[in-house]
Amino acid sequence: MLGSGPDRLRADVNRLLAFLFHQGILDEQFLQLQQLQDESSPNFVSQVVNIYFQESEKLLRNLRSLLMERKLSDYKNIGIHINQLMGSSSSIGAKRVRNVCVAFRAASDQNNRTGCLRVLEVLEHDYCFLKNKLHELFQIEQQRILAGGVGYPMQN
Amino acid sequence: MAPTLPSGDQASDQDNWDNGRLARKRQLLTEIVLRNRLTALVVDGDTTCRVLEQLLLRSYGVQTQGVDNGRDAVALIASGVKFNLIIIDMILPVLNGLEATRQIRDMGVHCKMLGVTACSGESERQAFLAAGVDVFIEKPLDPEHLVPILRELDGQ
Repeated sequence: MLGSGPDRLRADVNRLLAFLFHQGILDEQFLQLQQLQDESSPNFVSQVVNIYFQESEKLLRNLRSLLMERKLSDYKNIGIHINQLMGSSSSIGAKRVRNVCVAFRAASDQNNRTGCLRVLEVLEHDYCFLKNKLHELFQIEQQRILAGGVGYPMQN
Repeated sequence: MAPTLPSGDQASDQDNWDNGRLARKRQLLTEIVLRNRLTALVVDGDTTCRVLEQLLLRSYGVQTQGVDNGRDAVALIASGVKFNLIIIDMILPVLNGLEATRQIRDMGVHCKMLGVTACSGESERQAFLAAGVDVFIEKPLDPEHLVPILRELDGQ
């Protein structure tokens, strides 16, 4: 039988994290993020991830804008944007988004506009999925803290 | 190895997170105690990466500064500020990481330089090492790469 509110919510957090790991959405780097969070910075993970969201959305908008240009020739700039998204995604453990960026970069290196647009759609979809799931995670975590649970990193 | 899907059993979900990789990451984040006060410059155009890299260094007690482009990094070093460690991204705005590294080395700066990049290939590795970095790693910057470097700088 499940315990009190915080315990049930902790199980929900663990379940969601396990799902995200199992599906390859996140990798171990996300655990490192959690380990950097402590009492002096209790919202660190959500703050850093929100920075990632803000920066990523700018990059995705710019990428779509660049690819929609009538006479597309600035593949170097596209490459720089992809590189940045790849680096930030790997830094927070966003494994799937990072892997799609690898495919995007391959298309961009070949100056393949159709390929780039196709991969960009996948990237936008996977990014949205990641964002929704992480928001869900942070919401549950916030509820857990309000219900009297201890914040990250989760202790025994 | 990815965590297994939750069984619905609260204790086993907890075990997935408290065993193996999570414990090891925690160990790496706490196992080093620096005897000396080390300083590091983080040069990364991406906010998410720069924030995380600085946080990781600070978690080990390293004093850090961050800049978001190669030109500011060179200017900071040229102004006489000294660092034990410079972590520099390959792709930077204004002045790229390769050229910034060359200019820093041309100033006679011999501190440890760690080159990072989102997507590493052999040609990138060779180019960055030739420019003057001592170590080259693919993002994300993690304790497994950083701790040995910090130990070396600390004389341990």
